[in-house]
Amino acid sequence: MEATGVNAWYGRRQALYDISLAIPEGSVTAIIGPSGCGKSTFLRCLNRLHEETPGARVSGSILLDGEDLGKKDAVSVRFRVGMVFQRPSPFPNMSVFENVAAGLRLLGVRHRAELDQGVVEALELAGLWDEVKDDLDAPGTGLSGGQQQRLCIARALAVQPEVLLMDEPCSALDPIATNKIEALLQHLKTRYTVVIVTHNLAQAVRVSDTTAFFYLGKLVEMDRTEKIFHAPREKLTENYVTGRFG
Amino acid sequence: MAGLAALGILVLLALLTGFLVESAWPSLTHFGIGFLFGTVWDEPHNVFGAGPAIVDTILTSLFALLLAVPIALGVAIFLTQIAPAWLRRPLTYVVDLSAAIPSVVYGFWAFFVIVPLMNSTIEPGLTSLTGGRWPFPPSGSLGYDLLTATLVLTVMILPTIAAISRESMLAVPRIYRESALSLGATRWEATRMAVLGPARTGIVAGIMLGLGRALGETIAVTMVIGNVYILPGTIFSPGATLASWIVNNFSELTPASLAYQALLEMALILLAITVLVNVVARGLLWRFGSATEGGSPDRPRRHRRSRRSLVLAATSPAEPGTGGEPPAWRARVAAGVRSRLVRRRGVQWTVVGLTVLCLVIAIAPLASVILTLARLGGPAVVQPSFYTSLPPLGCNPNPFTTCSLGGIGPAIQGTFIMLGLGALIAVPMGLLAGIYVAEYGRNSFGKLVGFLADVMTGIPTIILGVFVFVLFIYFDHNAALSALSGGVALSVIMIPIVTRATIEALRSVPTGVRESATALGFPRHRVTVRVVLGSARSALVTGILLAASRALGDTAALLLTAGGSSFWFSSLNTQTAALTPFIFANFASSYQNLRTDAYGAALVLLAMMLGISLVARLAVRSGAAAPEGE
Repeated sequence: MEATGVNAWYGRRQALYDISLAIPEGSVTAIIGPSGCGKSTFLRCLNRLHEETPGARVSGSILLDGEDLGKKDAVSVRFRVGMVFQRPSPFPNMSVFENVAAGLRLLGVRHRAELDQGVVEALELAGLWDEVKDDLDAPGTGLSGGQQQRLCIARALAVQPEVLLMDEPCSALDPIATNKIEALLQHLKTRYTVVIVTHNLAQAVRVSDTTAFFYLGKLVEMDRTEKIFHAPREKLTENYVTGRFG
Repeated sequence: MAGLAALGILVLLALLTGFLVESAWPSLTHFGIGFLFGTVWDEPHNVFGAGPAIVDTILTSLFALLLAVPIALGVAIFLTQIAPAWLRRPLTYVVDLSAAIPSVVYGFWAFFVIVPLMNSTIEPGLTSLTGGRWPFPPSGSLGYDLLTATLVLTVMILPTIAAISRESMLAVPRIYRESALSLGATRWEATRMAVLGPARTGIVAGIMLGLGRALGETIAVTMVIGNVYILPGTIFSPGATLASWIVNNFSELTPASLAYQALLEMALILLAITVLVNVVARGLLWRFGSATEGGSPDRPRRHRRSRRSLVLAATSPAEPGTGGEPPAWRARVAAGVRSRLVRRRGVQWTVVGLTVLCLVIAIAPLASVILTLARLGGPAVVQPSFYTSLPPLGCNPNPFTTCSLGGIGPAIQGTFIMLGLGALIAVPMGLLAGIYVAEYGRNSFGKLVGFLADVMTGIPTIILGVFVFVLFIYFDHNAALSALSGGVALSVIMIPIVTRATIEALRSVPTGVRESATALGFPRHRVTVRVVLGSARSALVTGILLAASRALGDTAALLLTAGGSSFWFSSLNTQTAALTPFIFANFASSYQNLRTDAYGAALVLLAMMLGISLVARLAVRSGAAAPEGE
């Protein structure tokens, strides 16, 4: 996945300035930076969710498998690029099963057996199956916070996207739930390209292969994660990763 | 102090029920349960039954609901999900504005626009389309009938339902919608899955509030329904609702006659129905509100363990997440994805088109109201003497005489006196009760008062008018028709609105503000007075303005209490003129100059309402800047 010259605005305020970067496939890329640096906005550009915010605009191009996503239908883009949000957001009026099946139903999968299989696989993959298999018809919002977040991951994975975007997926979770999701990421990257926005620098070190550092809407530096955290090129990056600001 | 005011709300409700029951008692015991089913209203023989009025009330309200709900939902969906950002505010404002138009103005408009249209085009059209089969036989009602009343009610409750539905949809966290979009849902699919579902309790509550409003709507219905007391045979039958029958007959009856008591029993029935509907509506809204505060609106009930769980648990794959073969649906979906997408896009655009249509239908009456009133009322309002003169003697011009236009001076004066009197009682009481509930009422008493204030805002004003009249008959029967009585009636309308607005305004002040002030060592009452009231100032002003505009626009209660007069205000104990009763009494007068005055008065009233709503709007704007999220 490759971004070239991406600018983004909220109304008149520009949030991203000329971002160009390449996201390696089949690995985890972390985006770090202080609050308000545009990292979430950038993530939301990758599946064209940014343009759904009233008043928001975007320019530049984002390529997936060589196709310009901006020129494609937004709906088919989002089906290929899944997303998990900061707060767990299972649909409150749906059961565990229906939450995971929601994406499949949108794609027109109707056969009972196929739905069942898709849901079970997604829940397995998200490491949630053993915890919910006895009560698939319970409301999704009845689960614990960590379980809800893994349910959201399962929901995103059920449609088998090529890329999974995660916007601070653990910031609302306790350390044990966070551990489970981080372990899950290691497993997921064998099949998916994952982009994760995180505030937690230690988490970026633990889970990612590549790290991009954003500051004030600009990409400061992007490199292998060890490099960013141990021998960054830019002074700004060094100050941030060593905790001197942010 | 504040606790007393809160108690006052309970006392008010108890008095309301008590006095109505007490005054209607002879009728209650005389007719028993049969009153509900009696079909005649025969004063000479003292036989009364509420059957036709109950049937007409329920029929017109339910059909109005049937028509209004889809349109209102379309409007709410358009305003929250589809409209571009820059259009949302102004369009919402326009839709909310139509909720602020007084009932008498809607009735006035319907009388001049809808009734002729029904009579000349729509009803004959329906008859010829259906070949005159039931319930569309050739109509002899001249357009004054159940169908017309239903359409007018539809127009009137539409903005209420749209407003509550819109708020409920806005209360659904955006993250749900974005989650659905991220799964590849179209905007409509995201709305359906992730907005309408979670907001459904709030939407149902909005529908119930609309129903409550329709059931109790008095003046507009009275002006178009025909006022004939028979069981309906077709949708073109003229009829009478509970509220319209009360307002039409109340002032002609002597208190203590059986007919009067029977009419009070009707008021009691209407009270029971509307309170029931409003209790359900407010209950749902409270549940919805507390659920959205917790971050997840509308927790579904826990389902029983289903067969699906059992079957799937038995057949779960042994190897978790091995990937392996892509599932069969993948290839099929890939093959069909394009044509399916075209279809889903088609649905999406159809929905967009339909919601735009809904919005046009919702806004058109407002435009028509303004144009009609400007056309009819224009000639009167441009005369400066119109605002300062006494109403004229009725007169029709002929080649030998010209008629003096006169004016609405006493009506304007009386309106402001009674409004002032009402505010004098309602503002302190509502503020104090609101402060009590919001700041000290974290107990069941406070909750009860808050809830009852909510319910009270839904009680039809005709019933409040009846109550105040009965109250004065009991304590001071010479002043039953007077400025004092009218002022008290307006205060009863305003108290629950001010209370509610205060509660909402104070609740919106963040707890942090209170805690910081308390931490600085302020005593509690000073925290409340200085800090909390100070931060909520603009919201409080808006709430009081809203209450005043509701009182200003009300006709039914003043009609029963102020008595009306053609002269300047003389004392609080005598009959007094007011704008809305003046319009209602003269809009169809047989004298041309009185009609012209009524048209002018309607335009003046509309202009006042629009003015207040504009001021309230500006107060809100200056009070709180819209936050902009990343």
